[in-house]
Formats: sequence, structure tokens, C-alpha cells
Amino acid sequence: MPKPPTAVQPSGPTNWALIVRLFGLAWRYRLHCLGVLGIQLVLLTMGLLGLNFTGVGIDYIRQKVAAQTLPPGSHPLVAGTSIFHFALPGSWPAMKVLGLLGGMILGLAVCRAVLNYIYTVSVNILVQQKLVVDLRGVVYDKLQRLSFRFFDANNTGSIITRVTSDVQSVRMFVDQVLIQSLIMVISLVLYVVYMSSLSPGLTAACLATTPLLWLMSMGFSRRIQPDYARNRTLVERMVQMLAESVQGIAVTKGFGREEEDRARFAAANDAVLTQQHGIFWRLSLFTPSVGFITRINMMVLLGYGGWLVAHGRLPLGTGLVVFAGLLDQFSGQVNNVANIVNSIQQSLIGARRVFEILDAPIEVKSAPDAVSRPRLEGSVRFENVSFTYAGPGPAGGPPDEPVLRDINLDVTPGQCVAILGATGAGKSVLMGLIPRFYDVTAGRLLVDGIDVRRLRVDDLRRNIGLVFQDNFLFSNTVAANIAFGHPDATQAQIERAARIAAAHDFILGLPKGYETVLGESGNTLSGGQRQRLAIARAVLLEPAILLLDDPTAAIDSETEHEIFDALDRAIKGRTTFIVAHRLSTLRRADFIVVMADGRIVQRGTHEELMRVPGPYLQVADLQLVDNLMLQSNGPPDPLLP
Amino acid sequence: MSHPAKNASLTLIRNVRDEDYDEEQFKPLEWGLLRRLFSYAAPVRRKLRVLIVLSTIRSMQLPALVLVATLIIAGPITSGNMRGLALGVGGYLLLALWTDGMFHFRQRFALEIGETVVNGLRADIFAKMQRQPMSFFHRTKIGRVISRVTSDVEAMRVGIQDVLFVSMIQFGQMVFTAVAMAWIDPILFVVVVAMAPILWTVNNHFRMRFSRLSRASQESFSRVTATLAESVNGIRVTQGFVRQETNSGLFRSLLADHSRYNMDLARASAILAPLLDLNSQFFVAVLLVFGGWRVLHGGMAAGDLVKFFFLSNFFFSPITVIGNQYNQALVAMAGAERVFHLIDTPPDWEDDPSACDLPRSAGTGAQVEFRRVSFGYAPGRLVLHDIDFTAGPGMSVALVGHTGSGKTSIINLVSKFYLPTQGEVRVDGLEIRAITSKSLHRQMGLVPQQNFLFSGTVLENIRMSRPEASEDEVRDVAARLDCLDLIEALPRGLRTEVGEHGSGLSVGQRQLVCFARALLADPRIVVLDEATSSIDALTEARLQKALVTLLKGRTSFIVAHRLSTIRHADLVLVLDQGRIVERGTHDQLLVAGGHYAALHRQFVQMDDLPPS
Repeated sequence: MPKPPTAVQPSGPTNWALIVRLFGLAWRYRLHCLGVLGIQLVLLTMGLLGLNFTGVGIDYIRQKVAAQTLPPGSHPLVAGTSIFHFALPGSWPAMKVLGLLGGMILGLAVCRAVLNYIYTVSVNILVQQKLVVDLRGVVYDKLQRLSFRFFDANNTGSIITRVTSDVQSVRMFVDQVLIQSLIMVISLVLYVVYMSSLSPGLTAACLATTPLLWLMSMGFSRRIQPDYARNRTLVERMVQMLAESVQGIAVTKGFGREEEDRARFAAANDAVLTQQHGIFWRLSLFTPSVGFITRINMMVLLGYGGWLVAHGRLPLGTGLVVFAGLLDQFSGQVNNVANIVNSIQQSLIGARRVFEILDAPIEVKSAPDAVSRPRLEGSVRFENVSFTYAGPGPAGGPPDEPVLRDINLDVTPGQCVAILGATGAGKSVLMGLIPRFYDVTAGRLLVDGIDVRRLRVDDLRRNIGLVFQDNFLFSNTVAANIAFGHPDATQAQIERAARIAAAHDFILGLPKGYETVLGESGNTLSGGQRQRLAIARAVLLEPAILLLDDPTAAIDSETEHEIFDALDRAIKGRTTFIVAHRLSTLRRADFIVVMADGRIVQRGTHEELMRVPGPYLQVADLQLVDNLMLQSNGPPDPLLP
Repeated sequence: MSHPAKNASLTLIRNVRDEDYDEEQFKPLEWGLLRRLFSYAAPVRRKLRVLIVLSTIRSMQLPALVLVATLIIAGPITSGNMRGLALGVGGYLLLALWTDGMFHFRQRFALEIGETVVNGLRADIFAKMQRQPMSFFHRTKIGRVISRVTSDVEAMRVGIQDVLFVSMIQFGQMVFTAVAMAWIDPILFVVVVAMAPILWTVNNHFRMRFSRLSRASQESFSRVTATLAESVNGIRVTQGFVRQETNSGLFRSLLADHSRYNMDLARASAILAPLLDLNSQFFVAVLLVFGGWRVLHGGMAAGDLVKFFFLSNFFFSPITVIGNQYNQALVAMAGAERVFHLIDTPPDWEDDPSACDLPRSAGTGAQVEFRRVSFGYAPGRLVLHDIDFTAGPGMSVALVGHTGSGKTSIINLVSKFYLPTQGEVRVDGLEIRAITSKSLHRQMGLVPQQNFLFSGTVLENIRMSRPEASEDEVRDVAARLDCLDLIEALPRGLRTEVGEHGSGLSVGQRQLVCFARALLADPRIVVLDEATSSIDALTEARLQKALVTLLKGRTSFIVAHRLSTIRHADLVLVLDQGRIVERGTHDQLLVAGGHYAALHRQFVQMDDLPPS
């Protein structure tokens, strides 16, 4: 049953819904994530151990020195002479103990280096080999199946960014947000516990500034983000202006307006400069402030910690030195918070755009009980067909304005129908309904007597050859382009198609014949040649139905005749729909349909339509005036009869 | 380290070789380039000088802070001197305040200098490029120009704002730390210094490898994006020919390929970071054993050992930083060389200094004369031979011929976009070389084939040919072309934004805007490269009428694709392989039954004509 396609929801999901979904994505890689976290936990512990060894070493040396120099009776030094409760062998000679400590530090360092390597590599395997590849693959796959409406509504640049940088933003949620914040929590807890075990008071004093630091960096990043966004816009505008003035240089020079153009660019260029100054000020206030607060921590450590050491309540090495080392790493993790917050924002923006593609309904797909018809005869029948774009039309046009209204058309196999009409009359949409690029919103469309929505889409499309107005050829070899719809085609099949399209001769004239790669320097084809390749590509499939959307539009009148031979041969024996403006093409059709505002306003053969007053005769007259004029050699007349 | 795509025989696209990758990534430091680069900082000369002073001071402040901390530890803390401790901590606070307060200026000035240089470079590139004649734009790819203004200029920014000052500070820090360490204990200091070269070598080896690997990864990524772009642009073909699954498979193998390059890069960085860490741990172990021995047996104070623990990091960390900065400097040099090369490219030709303005005689078209003109875009390959004709004031000249016959070259010469190789082009009797380009162009109305519009409003685009024109004048021009109703029917009338390449407007509307733009200039010469694409018949008729208005009373040159245009021309020049093979009016040429008559038959497909 005809069902209107669902409109794309304008309001997206909430941030929470997105986060839940992102967690779901991460859950798929949970084992890998856990492994990575495990390694990191071991690394952190080893780091603490290493720092502790150093402290023990210092204390040991001080103790020995004290034993040598201090007069007996003075109070003994407070020193950590045990490593996690394993006492240093007191009976060993001093150098042997130091050698042991040095060896342990080195051994630990080697283990850490190896583990660190494993950690980085496995994070990258997760990100580069799994997450990004999987996500991009899925998005690309979905993209290929979306209806044209999606491509009409989004520009190429935005679609490409979704597969490239937006996917990167989404994966950031896993490795930058989830993993990083877990690491942050684990290490902060570990540090705080360890530091508190040394001296709770000192820990509290040293970390007192942490909340302030947190607030500052989060506040700063929130304030500076819009500035950066604005900066990107301004830079983009400046670059675009440069690009445009290169592209339009002939216009600028042609009107002698170089100075105005330079002024335009200078304004864009200076706008970047002016705006940057604001950013620079903020940045240069923030960074030194953070630096100063970090130094206050050090000051507290020296003052309070120094007091504790001096009063024998804290060892110097395992206490003060270890504390200093930990503080350093601690502030690193604290600064990480701002990065994580930024990553969350960025990944949400990316996720919204990526999920939009993944969630977009595939509007056109085969029904579960679809009929399989590998070969079609090619009869096409429009029964009261109407079509309306749901939501805003392409190029932001008015919504819900029917593009086609009540189309009735019956075409028998092998017939050629020409369609004439002004831009926006609905010609291309009419043709697009046949291969189900769009689905009718009312009425039905039958091919071989079957509603197209009940046919398998792939079967239907494989039976239809398409030649567009401006045919897209891929930067691949000529042969690969012709065989696009049937990659396993033999060379003989390809050449046969090329001959039908009157393309064989010029292809042989190319530098590498059928193996010439299109688009490489110098291998550019003329409009007529491109069009003939497109015809070859279409006929290779031996389609029962051929759709030609204004195939001569992009071709000079002088070379138009080149493709008529190709068209004549291609049309033969196939049901053909051809959009055309020129009489020379229109006359080739078995009958002509004239469209205006989505309706068929006239139909008949050329001869019939020439006899009745109406839009067809009007258009034909415009062109015939030219022709008659040259026969009579009369003086130029006004353009309209 | 290359991984050929698994599926080499079947790919969606073949040629994605971005020429940017042919460009040098690094260039040795060169005094001349450096001096020139810094000359762009001239507007902020004072800041630059202050910054050099600030950097020198900062390079002492940082080690001083650590030194003070260690002195407090080794002094008052060890000896339990509370007064000393309080004084020390107070001193530390003051020093920290001074250091971070000054850092504000050090950071801001550097950023401002960088931005000033970048701004000046961009302006210079733009101005110099615009002075180039059309031949330059003919052979230069737009992508290249854009990467000059973006990535190369950015590399130069890093060079000027970071490399010099960061290196100065880091180097100073290293020197002062070294002095402090040597003063504390010279023998232990020698051990520290001995490790420096190892660190330097390891770091640089890996940096170079990173650059190579990341280049390879970028290249493979450009294959991904190029394939993606073609997939999106060719989506109609893909779906129409049911290639979705094949393409998805191809894209996946491309992604897998790209991820292999990324893994190579990741592995390299996974080695470097732990290696640097290992180095510092190794040093700690050495310090503990060797330093411990010196303390216990050689009379070194235990406090001095603690000082070394703190200071050593300040000595080592600059090594990697300077190494990275050095790398950045090489990248900046390579960028600078390319940018300056672009700026320095001498124009193929410029207006003769003695050239004078073309007198403007209102109300009449100009007389344009070609005298035995030959012309080629490249030396030795002429595309026009012996072109000889005169277009009297107000005459319209249609240029007819196959693609490549030289039609566009003739209008390029009339527009003084190129100069003739031989012969003379005269406008109002003056040799075109003796006329300033600007005065000629101000009397010309150009309608390019692609109907190029700049992004901006319709109004801005029309007014581009005469920015001082009022909105009423623009309306008047549109009304005279009988297209005011079409423009006002646009969503926001004259204020409708036209996007990149004028998207949002139909071909016909775009052409009308171009006509209006040309007419607003009230030109004496109109140069028109007719669009080849067919426009629906009714719009076409309006365009033809507008064209008659545009051309009236002006000398015009038209690369013609429409029969009606040719028929209205006063003179039709039929070109074949760069020569004029026939000339006359449409009627005369038809009667003559030569080249033109044959062309004409193809044109209208005479055999298709209904009997009348």
C-alpha cells in the first residue's frame, strides 16, 4: 500500500540519549577496553613503586651519612627504609643496597617501557583497526543506500565530514572520554590514597587548590570554545574568498576591479587578526594563572612539608621527594579534565551527525515478499501518480508542494517517449520514479504490469539504463567506467557497448585506449565524449528500459550531432524516456509529453502537437523561426512569433 | 613500508595522487629565508624586541625556581631552620609571581607576532598573485594556492611564534641548569652531560621517522577521502547501477589499508615515549648508585644529591623540546620557500610603464582591430594564426567554430588577458600594449562562460562591476534587461544569497545576473562566452531579448553557440584550427555554401526540419 515516506525528525535526540547510545557502542569493545585499563593500572602501580625506590634510596643515603657524622644521642632521622613493608637488608654493605635499589629502578623502568609500548599499541589497535574502520564502514555502507533526498538536502562536504572527522569524534568518546576518565579516576584515587598514607594533612593542603583548578579550566574551555568556533568560521571565510577570487579571476580582471577584490580579502584577513587578539588575551591570562596555582602547591609542599620534615614527622626521600613527584603527575591528570570535557562536547556533536545517517530510514527497499524478475519486458504505466517531497524540498524550496500531480501514462515495450517542460516542471522526478529513486506518494507505477514497490529493487534497477544530464564518471579507467554496473564484464562486452555508443573510435585514440585513467592530467574528455561513455555504461547492461535525462544539455550545439548516432542505436528495441529541449531530439520520439507544474499538459506525436496551438507549438516555433529564417534568408525577425 | 591495497585490480577510483605530496617536507635553515620571514614582523618590531628580552629572562627564571626549591630542601628543611624556611618559601612565592606574571606577556606577544606575520604573508600572497596575468592562473592549480595560504603559512607561524622563543628559553634553561649542576658537583654533572647526546640522537631519529610515516598515512587518507567524495558525487550512478555492495567492499579494504599506515605510525610513537622515560629512569638509577657512592665515600653532601634529582629533569627535558622545535623549523623553512617562491614569481608581463588610459568616449562602442595577430599559450605552439579583422564601433562579432578552433583565444586577446605573440591588437586605434589594463577593463563588460558568481547577494554580484552604483541603478539595469521580475521573484529578491558557484540559481538566472553585471558597467566593449548548456525554451527567449539590450550600441565579441545569436551578429568569423576561414554575415555565409553552411547543417539538423 502506498505509504508516505516518513519525514526526517528536525529535532535530534537529547544529549543523554546520545551518551547512552555511545556507551552502547563502547560496550561492544568492552574486553579490549578492560585490557587497556588493566595495563594502565599496572603501569601506575609500577610508577609509584619506582618513585618510592628513589625516595628510599635518598633516605638510605641520608641515614648512612647521619650515622657517620651525627653525634650519638641526637634524635634519629625519620626515614622510610622499607619498601611496602619489606625491610631493606640492614646487614648488607651500603653500596650493595644502593646497587640493588638502582637495579630495581632500572628493571622496573624496562618493564614499564615494554608495558607502555603494549599499551599504546593496543589503544591504537582498538581505535585505528577496530573502532574507526568499523564505524566508517558502517556509515559508508548506509550512505550508499540512502535515498536521493538525503543527497539533495546535504552538500558533499558535509557528507564527507561525517565519514571522516565526525567518525573520529565519535570514537573519541571511547578512547578519549571513557578510557581517559577511568584512567584519571583510577590514578587520582591511587595518588591520593598513597599520598594520604604518607601524610593526610600534607595531602589535603597540597590538593586544596585542585577544585579551583578544575573550575578554572572548565570555565575557560567553555568560554573559549565559541571564540575558537568563530575563529574557524572567519578563517574558512578568508580561505573561501581566496579560492573564489582565483576561480573568478577573469571576472575581477575583466571589470578592472582588482583593488576592490583586494580590499574584500584584506577585510576578511584582518577580521581573523582582530578576533584572534581576544583569544590571545584570554589564553595569556589563563595559562599563567594555572601555572601559578600549580606553583602554589609546590610552595605549600615546601613550607608545610618542610616543617614536617624538619620536625621529624615526614621522611625527606620517601616523603617530600616522592610527594613532589606525585604532585607533578597529579596536576597533569587535573589538567586532563578540561580535555575530557572538550572531548565529550566534540564527540556529542560528531555522534549526532553520525547517528543521523545511521538512523536515516532507507526509504526505498525491497518488500519482504518482493517479486523477482531478472528480465523485464519494459512496459511502463503511470496510474494517477502524484509525488510530493516530504519536508523541505531540495534547495530549501517550499514543503509539501506536489512536484507531480495525477500523471497517467502508458508506454509499451520498445516505445520512445520524449518529455518537454521548463525547469522545475517535474521531468527528472517523473523519470526518477521508474527506478524507484523516489517512491510515488499517490497512485501507482507499474513496470511489466507489476507495481514497482513489489519488485525487487535490484532487479528493477538492473533492467534500467541511466544517462544523466551531467554524467558522473569515476576517476578510473575507461573500461572500468563502462563496466561500472557489471564489474565482471569481458573486454568484448565492453567494446560492444562502446561501439553501440559510438565511443569505440575515440577511446582507441586515447593514450592508453580502454586502460586510460580518466581525470589524470590531460585525460579530460569533451562533453560529447563523456556522454557517449555514459551511454556505453548504460547499454552494457542490455537494459529493457532506458532513461535519458537531457543527455545533450552539457554539449555544444556543434558537437551535439556526435551523440545522435549513439542515441539512435541505444534507443533501438528499448522502452526509452528522454528529457529534451531541442526539436532535433524531440522528433526522434514515438510520442511526446509536455509537462508544466507537475502535470502533463499535452501529449501526442510531433506532427499531432504541431497542429494544435499550445505550449509545444510555442516552443517549437521559437526554434523553427531560426530554421525557417535560414531557408528564406529573410531579415531577422523579433524572437517571438 | 608500503602496503599495497589488497584489491589492486578492482578499485573504485584510480588516480588520487595529490601533487602536494611531491613537495618537500623539510628544508635546511637558511639565513636569507629567516631574515625575510622576520621582516614580516616589522609592524610589531617593539614587541619582538621585548619578547627576546622576556625569553632570556624566562630561561633563567625556570631553573631559578627549582634551584630555590632545592636550596630550601637542602638548607632550612634539613637543618630545621624555621625562619630560613619561611624566608625561603616567601622568596619562592615572589619568584613564582614574577615568573608567571611575565609569562602573560611572553605568551601574548609571541601569539600576536605570529598572527601579524601570518596576516602580512596572506595579504602579500594575495596581492602579488592578483598582479599576475591570466597565464599564471591558467597553469596554477587552486589547491596549491590554498595550501600556500593555509598549511605553509601556518608552518611559518609556528616557526616564528614558537621555534625561536621556545628554543631560546629551553636552551637557556639547559645552560643555566648545567651551570648550577656544575657548581653543585662537577663530577656528577659530567655523568649527566654524557647522556645528553644519546637522548638527542634517539629523539631526532624518531622525529624523522614520524614525519615520513605520517606523510604516508596522510597519503593513504587522501585515497579514502577521494574515494568518499566520488562515492557521494556519483551516488546516482551507484544506486542506478546497483553497485552499493561492491563499493562498500572496496571501501572497507581501503579503510583497512589506511589503518595499517596508522598502526605503523602508532608503533613508532609507542617506542619513542617509553624510550625517553626509560632514559630518565636510567639516570635516576645512576644518580642513586654513583651519587650515593660519592656521598658515602667522596664527601658530597646528601643535600646536593637531592638538588641533582630535581635539576636533572630541567637539563634533559629541553633536549627533546629543542629537537622537536628544530624539526618544526625545517618544516617552516620548506613552507617559507614555497610561499616566497609564489610571491616572487615574476609576472609573465605587466602593463608598459608608458601605457596610458584609454579615453572614454561615452555612448559609442570602441573600434577593435586585429592586425596579423598570431598567438600561442605556450611558446612554439600557436593557436591563432594571422588573424586580421576590424570591428567598427557598435559592431557585434560572432566567433564560430569547433572546440579548440581559437574562439576563446580571440576574446582573451580583446580582453588583454593575454598579449599577442605577433601582430597588433588595436582599440580605438591605440595598440593594446599602450593602454593600461585597468582603463580598458573599466570599459568592458564580461560575461564568462560558466556564469561565475561570487558568494554574496545578487545585488553584490551585480554591483561588482561598479561598486559605487546605487541600488536603484541596479534595479534600473535589471529592468532594462527585462529581468527585474525574475530577480524579485527570488526568495529574497536582490538580497538573495548565491552560494558557491552561484548555486541556488538556475543556469538562466545566473546568466541574467551576469548580463546585469556587465550592463551596469555601461561598457563600450562586451565580451561574452555563451553558455553551452541548453536552457529551457522560455527562459532562453528572455535571455535572447536581454542580450539584444546588452549589446545595443556596444562593440561585442561573442563566442556563439546559439543560432539566434549568430544570426544577429554584424560579422561572423568562422574559425578553424586557429585561422579565420570565412567571414561575413550569417546570410552571406549561408549563400557562400562553405564551411559555415556545413557547420550550420549539423547545427540545426536540416533533415529534421518539417516540410513547411
